[in-house]
Amino acid sequence: MDYSMLLLALLGCPLIAALAMAVLPSKGTPSAVYEALHLLSLAGVAVAGLALVVAVCSGADVYAAGEWFHLDGLSALFLGLIAVIAPCTGVYSLPYVAHDVEEGRLGSGQVKQYYAFFSLFVFSMILAVTSNNIIMMWVSVEATTLSTVFLVGVYRTKLALEAAWKYVIVCTAGVAFGLFGTLLVYANAADVMADAHQAVFWTAILPVAPLMDHSLMMIAFVFAAIGFGTKAGLFPMHTWLPDAHSEAPSPVSALLSGVLLKCAILIILRFYILASANVGDGFPQTVMMILGVLSVGYAAFEVYRQRDLKRKLAYSSCENVGLIAVCFGIGGPLGIIAGLVHCIAHGLTKALMFCLAGNVMMKYHTRDLERIRGIVAVAPVTGVLFVAGCLALAGFPPFAMFLSEMLMVLAGVAAAAWWALVLVLVALVVVIMALVRLITGSALGGAPDNVPRGDVPALALVPEIVLVALVVLLGVAMPGPLAGSIEDAGAIVMAYEGEYSANGSLLDDALAALAADGMTEEVFE
Amino acid sequence: MFGYPLVNVLGACLIITSMMVVLARTGRAAACLYSLQSLVLVGVLASLGAVTGSGELYTWSATAFATKVVLVPAILLFTLKKIGGEVPVDLPPKLNPMKSVALVAVEVFVCFVAVSGIDLPTAAAVKPTLAVSLAHFFIGLTCIVIQRSIFKQIFGYCLMENGSHVTLALLAPQAPELVEIGVATDAIFAVVILAVLVARMARYARTLNADDLCELKG
Repeated sequence: MDYSMLLLALLGCPLIAALAMAVLPSKGTPSAVYEALHLLSLAGVAVAGLALVVAVCSGADVYAAGEWFHLDGLSALFLGLIAVIAPCTGVYSLPYVAHDVEEGRLGSGQVKQYYAFFSLFVFSMILAVTSNNIIMMWVSVEATTLSTVFLVGVYRTKLALEAAWKYVIVCTAGVAFGLFGTLLVYANAADVMADAHQAVFWTAILPVAPLMDHSLMMIAFVFAAIGFGTKAGLFPMHTWLPDAHSEAPSPVSALLSGVLLKCAILIILRFYILASANVGDGFPQTVMMILGVLSVGYAAFEVYRQRDLKRKLAYSSCENVGLIAVCFGIGGPLGIIAGLVHCIAHGLTKALMFCLAGNVMMKYHTRDLERIRGIVAVAPVTGVLFVAGCLALAGFPPFAMFLSEMLMVLAGVAAAAWWALVLVLVALVVVIMALVRLITGSALGGAPDNVPRGDVPALALVPEIVLVALVVLLGVAMPGPLAGSIEDAGAIVMAYEGEYSANGSLLDDALAALAADGMTEEVFE
Repeated sequence: MFGYPLVNVLGACLIITSMMVVLARTGRAAACLYSLQSLVLVGVLASLGAVTGSGELYTWSATAFATKVVLVPAILLFTLKKIGGEVPVDLPPKLNPMKSVALVAVEVFVCFVAVSGIDLPTAAAVKPTLAVSLAHFFIGLTCIVIQRSIFKQIFGYCLMENGSHVTLALLAPQAPELVEIGVATDAIFAVVILAVLVARMARYARTLNADDLCELKG
């Protein structure tokens, strides 16, 4: 199979769908036409995306359009996240948008706008994870902002527009710093490469990274961490995140939180690898650790404090992105693997939780937790999924986030990062308290009289059941190919240190090293 | 006055014109002054093209003229016309002009100090302009922070974008044209989207005052 063509087809599916929807007249075109185009495009993304992920897991290294697009083990992991979550949230959008139309919150023009920008958003995220051209990486991250701003403000209320404005102004300004970091890397690479035209390609820069100017690379990494960290929702550049996530339609919040934040993390990782190759891993790890610990510490208390369901979940995203940064800050094979597993685990779990928040809003017509009680009694399936989602988000077994958080703790112990570990664990206890309170206060208890009994449409529940199943599956028995893919991705991040083993089992080596240090005994005693 | 000195003199003009954009009292004046500043940017790109012999930079200066001198101000003036007198656009900034100038002066100084430590052969002769391009980032950021009118905040983004354009030209004069087109196109889309959002804000929220847009705090 020609994987290059498949990669281009993957990019083409959502883009063509978005353009086709844009040219259709909003008056007179039935919403079924938009829904059909939307589903076709997402089916294409799922099939082509997963086929490419499988190909890369089997050892293929896919390039397209010369060297402009590249799919390696690392980007395949994030592409897999898009190929799973985008179709799930896309299917969930159908009943959700139909409900909003029934309620009079969306008109025909807004329905068209919703589906067209949804496809454009998916396209821009695929572009971000598959770009090998570092400047195109920046353009694609910027494009994710521009394609989602009208999704955030689709309701055209004052609050929605306020959230959209903050989102676009903070992210475009923040990501401009990312551009500056990108340009510094380019200029630095162009100076040491024989062919300056090659200096825009990440795969061409990596081999010469150790030769580049150290101080310039450190400045570039800080700019990239601030710029793309803004998009990832890292503290203190996170200010747009709670507003945008809470005001956007729930499927969009799910996609923003589940995938977009991880795409920004991937771009930061690309710069992390270059910086590590250039100045050693100490500097980028310190930057990530500082940003991560601050994010976790701040967001955990906000998760507890918030009384708005979606803002609570949004701050939880900020906290989890912080955990990912802490994992990369700890470093080493185990830290890198923990970070990558957490990207996947949190992506799936948070997509599930935002969809469930959508179910709750469809039933209760509010996000105010003071007025949301007895979800299990009102809508049993939603209620059970909601409890499972909260437990998954709190990091309880048998869910996927338990695995990633345990790996993070083990990595922290192995690296003797005690201060960070203590701070993070205290924050995690606060988050667990917040989520347990969410279960007891909102999911359990008697149903209010003014809320009709009965669940949301089956079409809304199916993607949520799929997401729960995946979260449990990853928690109890991670599929071999996925584990292999995570190890491959980890090996790419660790390549600069040459620490990845010849036998290819990064995780086994990390755990063996941990045991050799006598750490495991200490932890489990 | 030719060669690299001309580039550096034009770089200084960029700071002056960006200050004028920040201090402009009306949205219309800010749009016109932004057009003027972009004209200076075109001069920087063209003179850099002449100095480095990079054909790409001439193309960049032509596209910058079309997009930044003509298109972006036209979009912003059109937005002003569309808003009409529905809501007040020309709101006073949060910081008075003297304090704004002092803040920008500090930013420029800090950027000059930061750039002096960089040892990059590509940028050795144009360090003052490199400092100016970096300062543009912070002037743009200042504009976003101090302006009460969200319409004028758009100019903050535009100034940041001009800064990155100059940086791109200084550090990567041989970069493929497609890269410059990508960055420029992105900027145009960003301005269009910001302008549409401002128009919607005026229409649905009946305000362009950033102080009124604080309901989602906390």
